[in-house]
Amino acid sequence: MIYLDHAAATPVSDKTLEAMKPYFLVDFFNPSSAYLPAKKVAHDFSEAKANIAHAIGAKENDLIITAGATEANNLAMTAISSEAKVLYLKTEHDSVRNPAKRFNSEEIAVDKNGRINLDDLKSKIDDNTELISVALANNELGTIQPLAEIAALVREIRLERLKNGSSRQLLLHSDASQATNLLDINVARLGVDLLTLNAAKVYGPKGVGALYISHDVRLKPLSVGGGQENGIRSGTENVPGVIGFASALTHAKEHLNGNRKKYANFRKILLNEIKDYELINKKHSLDNFVVLCFDGLDAERLIYLLEEREVYVSTGAACAASKGVRSHVLAAIGLSDSEINGSLRITLGETNTEEQIHEAAKIINEVVALERERIRRG
Amino acid sequence: MAKVFVGMSGGVDSSVAALLLKEHGHDVTGVYMKNWSKDLPGMKCPWAEDLADAKRVAVKLGIDFEVWDFEKEYHDKVVEYMLDEFKKGNTPNPDVMCNQEIKFKLFFEKAMERGADYIATGHYARTSGSELLRAKDENKDQTYFLYRISDTAISHTLFPVGEMLKPEVKKLAKEKGLHNAYKKESMGVCFVGEVGMKDFLKEYIDIKPGEIREVESEKVLGYHEGAVFYTIGQRHGLYLSGVAGEANDGLPYYVVSKDLNKNIVYVSKNLNDSHIWTKELKIKDVILRKEAKNVLVRLRHRAPLIPATFDGETLFFENEVKRPAAGQSAVIYDGDICLGGGIII
Repeated sequence: MIYLDHAAATPVSDKTLEAMKPYFLVDFFNPSSAYLPAKKVAHDFSEAKANIAHAIGAKENDLIITAGATEANNLAMTAISSEAKVLYLKTEHDSVRNPAKRFNSEEIAVDKNGRINLDDLKSKIDDNTELISVALANNELGTIQPLAEIAALVREIRLERLKNGSSRQLLLHSDASQATNLLDINVARLGVDLLTLNAAKVYGPKGVGALYISHDVRLKPLSVGGGQENGIRSGTENVPGVIGFASALTHAKEHLNGNRKKYANFRKILLNEIKDYELINKKHSLDNFVVLCFDGLDAERLIYLLEEREVYVSTGAACAASKGVRSHVLAAIGLSDSEINGSLRITLGETNTEEQIHEAAKIINEVVALERERIRRG
Repeated sequence: MAKVFVGMSGGVDSSVAALLLKEHGHDVTGVYMKNWSKDLPGMKCPWAEDLADAKRVAVKLGIDFEVWDFEKEYHDKVVEYMLDEFKKGNTPNPDVMCNQEIKFKLFFEKAMERGADYIATGHYARTSGSELLRAKDENKDQTYFLYRISDTAISHTLFPVGEMLKPEVKKLAKEKGLHNAYKKESMGVCFVGEVGMKDFLKEYIDIKPGEIREVESEKVLGYHEGAVFYTIGQRHGLYLSGVAGEANDGLPYYVVSKDLNKNIVYVSKNLNDSHIWTKELKIKDVILRKEAKNVLVRLRHRAPLIPATFDGETLFFENEVKRPAAGQSAVIYDGDICLGGGIII
């Protein structure tokens, strides 16, 4: 098997699984229970949460643990008032777009590389705007956004509002799910007020995520109950999940530079050895994203042919594909319907070796040739 | 070698149909008919997964594959018809209508325009010239849903799995490595999927609760959620209460009639009620491909064939039959040949 879809899911490493195991089997206690063994679990949980926070330059109390990035993105929207306006990048994931659409909302345009159009952003911020959501890196293209520049603009507007006697907040939220594994993230440097993290994309368990919030942000709970997570997210803590998340994130931090170099090299090999394509994510992309357009071909057919050779790739986002809708991300950067149809997303990761990459390029060439031949005959 | 467009639903039957056509050396194009894609509250429409299943099989067979969008037509011709019939108090069969209006009309016509010699589907049925014949697998025979399709369509349609038994179809799919060999069959109406018609209707028809009365005594025995939900002959899902002694004798109540104006559902314990059992059935919108008097009749999909005489508008049975709901079909056969049928009044 050659797995080239690390943006969709990542395997949990043995080390992380081992770290989680005791919390299923031995230290299974409810962290809220009164006896000492339970207190130990509460302590370990808190330590793991602190480790996650430290990985992004934050403190334990700045994090709300969630059941994944979708919940974190939804929770982020609770920071604003119901009459507020939300701005989000046109290429955001549905877990940002859909909750944003419950508010008065507008999309921010991107250029052909998928980077934010700052002028468009500026022109759309009005007196009611309370939240701007821009993913640190896009999930279909890998495009990295200039968060610090956006944050500077946000700060300017805040100052202006104060000067004008307005106390309306303006918050910057970023979904860092795809970027966490490839970029050195520091919330202060990025200048974000809210940041979404996802364990499932960093070789941690699925169904675990976190929302970082700065001190000025006040969230409203999506579900209420026993008052865990500072009353913002009730429910018994997912101890093994958080332990696994922390372990995975620590590993990611340690291997960040090595992995980036490795992926950049793999990317170069693919671009050299695959034939007859157009590269879609030319600039500002995460090192592990390779988006290729095979003109006139149907990428979905390529997926099924590659699947027979045990090479696993994807078209846009896995969830978009399963809903049978055309990628709004590729449309946003100006690709035509036929270009979108022919676009394949390859996302590299820790399961890959250089040998696999050469092999994958060879198989992709064969499959593409097969499809071109079928069309030529027809 | 013929040019064939095969309707592929993503299920095993139409996948094997495509496989057989390809193996016979035909020039095959797989087509997914997109008839319905809307999710309903709490139920995800499986169309995208079905489409992916169909496409994956087409790719593995190395055939062309297209999606033909009939959503508007399906809504206008099938869904509207279905809702109208329910509003009239009838129990329509949308699958019959879908075959008549979409699969063997629009799909057929478009395929012919594209230069097809034949269309094909994964239905269990057979043809001989312009005759429609029952499938080899009596247990799977689907001519009950196909009886209204046109002669022209019949003579230009291939039913590759009609000569096979279902277990053989599954076995072949497995041998050929088709991933959907064990896919669960979709139950009920195609687009409602596994979810009940009731939930679907709730979305589209204004429904008011009303009384359930005993037909003989006019006594109120309970209440219903909306008269359109109930089918004549139905004995499940009746919320009866409050008449101790009478409702507790262990005998089930059956729905025998409905008054849609007053929104009353009438029930009875009397199994001999003429609303339930009858020796005669009047049918309308009759299609008969060949004159016939002494015939065999099927009153429900997979129900046994019953001998009857037919005078052009009424079917006469020797013994009493359980009366199907108005709006359902009575399908007429002469031996293996499906002659046609009509809608029960």
